Amino acid sequence: MIEVERVSKQFGELEALHDVSLAVHQGSIYGLVGSNGAGKTTLLKLLAGIYKPDTGNIMIDAQSVFENEAIKARSVFIPDILYFFHNYTIQDTADFYAHIYPQWNHQRYLKLAGVFNIEVKRRIRTLSKGMQRQVAFWMGLSLMPDVMILDEPLDGLDPVMRQKVKQLIIQDVADRAMTVIISSHNLRELENICDYIGILHQGKMLIQKDLDDLKADVHKIQVAFSTETPPALIDEMQALYHEQRGSISIFIVRGSHSEIVSRIQAYAPAILDVLPLTLEEIFIYEMGDNGYEIKNILY
Amino acid sequence: MFELDLRSRAPIYEQLVDKIIELIISDVLKPDQQLPSVRILSSELTLNPNTIQKAYRELEYRGYIYSLPGKGSFVRPALAEDNSARLLNLEKELNRIITEMLYLGLRPDEILARAEDLLSAAKGGNIND
Repeated sequence: MIEVERVSKQFGELEALHDVSLAVHQGSIYGLVGSNGAGKTTLLKLLAGIYKPDTGNIMIDAQSVFENEAIKARSVFIPDILYFFHNYTIQDTADFYAHIYPQWNHQRYLKLAGVFNIEVKRRIRTLSKGMQRQVAFWMGLSLMPDVMILDEPLDGLDPVMRQKVKQLIIQDVADRAMTVIISSHNLRELENICDYIGILHQGKMLIQKDLDDLKADVHKIQVAFSTETPPALIDEMQALYHEQRGSISIFIVRGSHSEIVSRIQAYAPAILDVLPLTLEEIFIYEMGDNGYEIKNILY
Repeated sequence: MFELDLRSRAPIYEQLVDKIIELIISDVLKPDQQLPSVRILSSELTLNPNTIQKAYRELEYRGYIYSLPGKGSFVRPALAEDNSARLLNLEKELNRIITEMLYLGLRPDEILARAEDLLSAAKGGNIND
């Protein structure tokens, strides 16, 4: 279980995180999304015990993370910019990790060699970006972590490898109740594997929720009337967003599906479609609510 | 064993619930047949195991499956669910279809004749199986 309690972190004048709290239960996969520069990497580095919070607590299994060897021995952080020792081969790196991490599992390492299929005598710096990322997962999964902290982890992997890596992570979550926190901009990818989502913007946590609840709570509605859209309906909807495209009105509305439908049915629409939002759309509308919106830019 | 449309907007666990119900109703999953374990299904579909757990819980709550501790989940033979909500939906759908047929110029008696054909075909299906 990962707990972050009211954490703030400043770098000089820049406040990277402000009063952020979150909890990730054991065996859960938490997806962290946010605008560029929102503080995702800072938060993950705090979780990995690399940075020390200015205020607040960061705990894994009720122990403070910073400078805590026992916690670090059973957690893995794969950063967005990977680091390997200069001139080390894959085998050298594995030997080093086996020496450092008490939960290192050599059988696992040998078995994963079949998945990643890279010659262990290769020097890591001679490998491509995507292959280096594979090596990071290979090492990370071999040390049987209880917690995985992943910063843009699937970047640079080809589609086959993405699928394989996701499967490996999911297996560990299902088998050993591994806890995972993962940041990504690829929202569609997060949608399948995460059960909890947090949206970070300018150092603050805007929203965090069970993904299914998040999706069940907001709807996109397309409605058309044989005459003009009744103004009373537009007032009544209290939409997060409203747009008129010809005779079709588009609303983004919070609330339960059945309640929204019955409210609109009262106005006898000619067409009524209610669609759940994708995570991508939720992200865009939540951000728009906070002054970070897509404006149509024409040059 | 089955595929989900991950690009669909519907929440994944809902899709999973609908899919499994469909398989049970159409008798692809037989009564008392074991469902794949959470672990296997999550790995096959690359989905979060908790999502699958949640779908199984929902199916159990709605009476489509039962679980035996330590053994897994199984299809429940007789269905004791309240179908009124689903029926209401189907009725709405039928209404939409009929409205569209009328709009496209079919006469009411033609629609009735087609419905009768379909009904006798559906009844006959069991005999000629």
